Amino acid sequence: MPHLKAAISRTLQLALVLWAVVTILFLMFRLMPGNPMAAYIDPTFTLEQQQALMAQFGLDKPLWEQYFIYIGNLLQGELGQSFRYREPVATRIWALLPNTLILTFSSLILAYTFGILAGAYLAWKRGGVVENAAIPLVLTTRAMPEFWLGMVLLAIFSFNLGWFPAGGTRPAGASYDSLWALYTSREFLSYLALPALTLAIYSQGLPLLLMRSNMLDVMKEDFVTMARIKGLSNWTVVVRHAARNALLPVMTSFAIAVGYQLQGNVVVESVFSWPGLGRELVNAVSASDYPLAQGAFLMIAVVVILMNLIADLLYALLDPRISHA
Amino acid sequence: MTETLLSVRDLRVSYKVGASRIDAVDGASFDVPRGTIVGLVGESGCGKTTIAKALTRVIADNASITGGQMMFEGRDLVSLSERQMNALRWREIAFIPQSAMNSLDPVYTVESQLNEVLRRRGGLGRREARKRCEELFELVGIDKGRLSDYPHQFSGGMRQRVAIALALALNPKLVIADEPVTALDVIVQRQILDQLRELQAALGISVIIVTHDISVVAYICDRTVVMYAGKVAEAGSMQATLTEPSHPYTMGLRNAFPDLQGAASGTLTPIEGAPPNLAFPPPGCRFAPRCPFVLETCRQVNPPLETVGPNHVAACHRAGEAVELRTQAARVDTWSGKVLA
Ligand SMILES: Nc1ncnc2c1ncn2[C@@H]1O[C@H](COP(=O)(O)OP(=O)(O)OP(=O)(O)O)[C@@H](O)[C@H]1O
Ligand code: SF4
Ligand SMILES: [Mg+2]
Repeated sequence: MPHLKAAISRTLQLALVLWAVVTILFLMFRLMPGNPMAAYIDPTFTLEQQQALMAQFGLDKPLWEQYFIYIGNLLQGELGQSFRYREPVATRIWALLPNTLILTFSSLILAYTFGILAGAYLAWKRGGVVENAAIPLVLTTRAMPEFWLGMVLLAIFSFNLGWFPAGGTRPAGASYDSLWALYTSREFLSYLALPALTLAIYSQGLPLLLMRSNMLDVMKEDFVTMARIKGLSNWTVVVRHAARNALLPVMTSFAIAVGYQLQGNVVVESVFSWPGLGRELVNAVSASDYPLAQGAFLMIAVVVILMNLIADLLYALLDPRISHA
Repeated sequence: MTETLLSVRDLRVSYKVGASRIDAVDGASFDVPRGTIVGLVGESGCGKTTIAKALTRVIADNASITGGQMMFEGRDLVSLSERQMNALRWREIAFIPQSAMNSLDPVYTVESQLNEVLRRRGGLGRREARKRCEELFELVGIDKGRLSDYPHQFSGGMRQRVAIALALALNPKLVIADEPVTALDVIVQRQILDQLRELQAALGISVIIVTHDISVVAYICDRTVVMYAGKVAEAGSMQATLTEPSHPYTMGLRNAFPDLQGAASGTLTPIEGAPPNLAFPPPGCRFAPRCPFVLETCRQVNPPLETVGPNHVAACHRAGEAVELRTQAARVDTWSGKVLA
């Protein structure tokens, strides 16, 4: 069973990466100059009160002991208390994560669907007027800062045309029976539209250019020439053979792009007041809310690592040379 | 073997490279009689693949057929519309490529690729196609259980058999095989060639085998077309061209290869030098710079293809002295830089 072996070693590898991330996060926040409690401890606290708090958070113990407590807590899903919100970090993160994931996936699915189709089309129509006009346009979208793009879309579609709300995820005062009811409501879609579109425009360049250059390479392959010699229709040659093969690396890049996007969401979440993990992370760091920042970092790292695993699995699924080795 | 299936006349194919033009095929003429195997032989770069691809009219983006005719059963392939040409592809003219590995799509099973031509090009239904797939695998001697395998799961020799099955799928009249065995070891080469010969005879089809290896021609072909630098140097029955070559280039080629039986007949003598750059071909005979028998006229006047025997043509000013030249050509020192005559 070479498959099982590969899967196990891959999983072990990822576990190792995760452990490294966890350790680095621990050291980062403990070894930073200054007392991590500084923001939390009121100067008017008596020394005893301070000491009691330090003990409560385990900060009076030696570093190695703190490390084991920290790992032990993590294994139980315990991320600690947020300094700022005075509530468990996990609660906070679970409330924000769905917003971030929905924004990320909807924008990326939009970007990849468009990018793949347009990239394949441009490769097919190589050397035409369309290509000459499209490539500089795509490069321009890649160069536009996200916040600027977000503002422009806001100005046009929200402030001017009034088609979409300006920010947030729901009308003021609206309440829903469940998260599910919120996410499937029409209003939510209208709140999602602009931030998702901003991210999609920002992200479509990568799949588009990748798809196009893969297609151009694949079109030179013998099996594409053979498909023509077989007298197959243009559509069959371009879509069934060229595009299908060119798609492999693009699909993998999707999974990896999710990771990038999570880090890049910060700006767009701020512009559209989108209550997501990225915005919270920035706020937490600037407010020195280390447990929350640490938890948010960790969550993003976990998603990135998971997406890498998914990328591998996806590739194996789509490429028979790997799945039928 | 009287009726002609394909008759190529004065075919010209050129490639545009930057501002210059390469006449890769520069007035080639030859015939393919029905039910025969014709070997198109010559050194690397002499235009064999260019001719093979031109016959399907699937040519590189920078290539164009600039003249001549390719008469296939009374129709000139050069002047057919793209639609008419496409109707002929694979149904009447099929292709076996050099590397079956690269010419099979890696993401589809072999059956799916057979089905593609059977159903999309042959109009077969699902059930008929399945039956035909099994038939074809039996024909080329592969267990039908392997139909659901992917190309990378086959060995090189088997993949070449798959390519043959694929070519025969729609009962074509002409199969063009571009270096079908070059990538294989000698034993597998023989097996594949034997099989090709068997199937060709059983199905009564015509085959063009493109090869740089004259021993492949000797092993399997009925007729030989020897190409040099975009032109036909000599053509005729395999027997006549290989036992009594009339063109010095054919004589040289014969010395340069061992036969497929393994035993080298005498010493192997390569032809010194390299074929000319086709962007700037030499005036006169293109073989002149390497020919041990070159005369002054050779460098100025291009020798036309002339009949030298029954069904046997050669393009050499000294074809009339062929008997004498053959004895000289058999000597090793003839080819080692000493120019006689
Ligand atoms: N797409 C192309 N663009 C420019 N020149 C080309 C192209 N394809 C082939 N040529 C040139 O045309 C000539 C004939 O090439 P061709 O591939 O037909 O030769 P060949 O006889 O099949 O050789 P080989 O044994 O190497 O396959 C060579 O000089 C080659 O460099
Ligand atoms: S024409 Fe002259 S140079 Fe050319 S092959 Fe004949 S003898 Fe040699
Ligand atoms: Mg070739």
